[in-house]
Amino acid sequence: MKKYAIIASLLFIAALMGSSCKKEKPIDEDGLLITTRAECYVSNFELLGADFQTVRSKAPVIDTVACTIKQEVFFGTDLKNLWPQFTLVTDAKLDPKITGKVDFSDLANPKTYTVISGNRQVRKTYTVIITVQK
Amino acid sequence: MTGKYFSYISLLGAALSLMTACSKDGDYTIPTPKNELQNDCIKRSLGPNIVGINIEFAYAMAIPAAKGKLVSAQVVASIPGVQVNPGDKPNSATYLQDSSFYTNGSGVDVPIKVGDRSVTKDGANVVTFTKDTNAVTLRYFYRIPEEARGKTVSFTFSATSSNGETVTYKSGPYTIAKMDMALNLLPTNNNKCYLSVADMKLYTAAEAAANPDKIDLVYLYRNLAVQFGHALVAPAASKDYLPGVTLPANVNRDTKLSKAWNVQDFHLAGLKYGTTFVDDVDFEQRDMSTSPDFALGLKEEAGVWVETGDGQYRAYIFVNKLDNTAQSARISIKRYKVK
Repeated sequence: MKKYAIIASLLFIAALMGSSCKKEKPIDEDGLLITTRAECYVSNFELLGADFQTVRSKAPVIDTVACTIKQEVFFGTDLKNLWPQFTLVTDAKLDPKITGKVDFSDLANPKTYTVISGNRQVRKTYTVIITVQK
Repeated sequence: MTGKYFSYISLLGAALSLMTACSKDGDYTIPTPKNELQNDCIKRSLGPNIVGINIEFAYAMAIPAAKGKLVSAQVVASIPGVQVNPGDKPNSATYLQDSSFYTNGSGVDVPIKVGDRSVTKDGANVVTFTKDTNAVTLRYFYRIPEEARGKTVSFTFSATSSNGETVTYKSGPYTIAKMDMALNLLPTNNNKCYLSVADMKLYTAAEAAANPDKIDLVYLYRNLAVQFGHALVAPAASKDYLPGVTLPANVNRDTKLSKAWNVQDFHLAGLKYGTTFVDDVDFEQRDMSTSPDFALGLKEEAGVWVETGDGQYRAYIFVNKLDNTAQSARISIKRYKVK
């Protein structure tokens, strides 16, 4: 009799656990919450050099309509070893992810990064245009 | 039925184990000190052991007064340290200090001479006590010799007492770094501005012309509309980064540079910072394949990682001081031979 009671309670706990999982909000492939926000833009941009100090000679010019980030860097910046940092609107994420130093030395072919909104429905591709101080 | 008994038994077991733990606590007795000559040793210096600087130890020894007094203390290094040459300051070599220290009310360490100055005989540093001494801590300074580079060194400390006892303490082995160090080089704009990493020396244009294959970097200061300031540039770099510089003939090596911040090496920065050390491993693991051949806009207390064009040396140059008026700098270098 006791045995049955234990089995029953175990089953009940398992059922509870199952239901709690279903209650959670949906998550995307990165394990991030998918929310209701549809906003999709870059609010700030930073660029660090090989020594993790800023190489920006001016504040960035971010055009959220044309989807461009124009950034002037100091004369003599090591363009092959830069660490970009994007500040995004709440719940948005960036693709591709920044995992280390990025080579920005090909100035004629600017790099592009896609911002994905919180609801994962809106995607906007930003072009990072770098110019060197003269 | 059996289950019930099990629970009783386990409860009893738990209660028993609790009681035994209690009774064990009651058994504590004050430990009896060893009634004999004893010693102990700590290594006081931190960081990589570099040829030409000291490894410092504090060696303590003591004997109960009723048993006798200390007669002598000695240290033997597996590779003998640098010895005093005639005319040298005594502190510029390996020695076992002849004084014990106490700290006075103002926090100053006051020496009390307890023995004859350490003499080196047969590779050992010996201090013979001249005062009746029961307990003392002597400092040992091992000046790392060139022949220890890249090897390991161990130390045997020993003390003898008047009742014939001897104690020994073995310390180490300690690895001696392969790298070299040069402190406080003073490059000046358009003058002594050619740096050789192989020699860790600065040259003028005339001297550079005589040794063009040695010159790895040019130091320059330019006050331009763009950020330039103090810079280290490889002779082979684009002329944009060498404004107004006429290189001596055949000075054309291509050195790679990578700026660093917050690497305030203890040896290079002086006594200001105590926690950061650049060691052999930092040079071994560095990938500079994508680094440029210039470093502009240097800042005080920042640094630059360097790899020579032939890949023979890697170095870390720390900027101790920059002077815009005198257009000069004070830099210190750690250098590692890769191949």
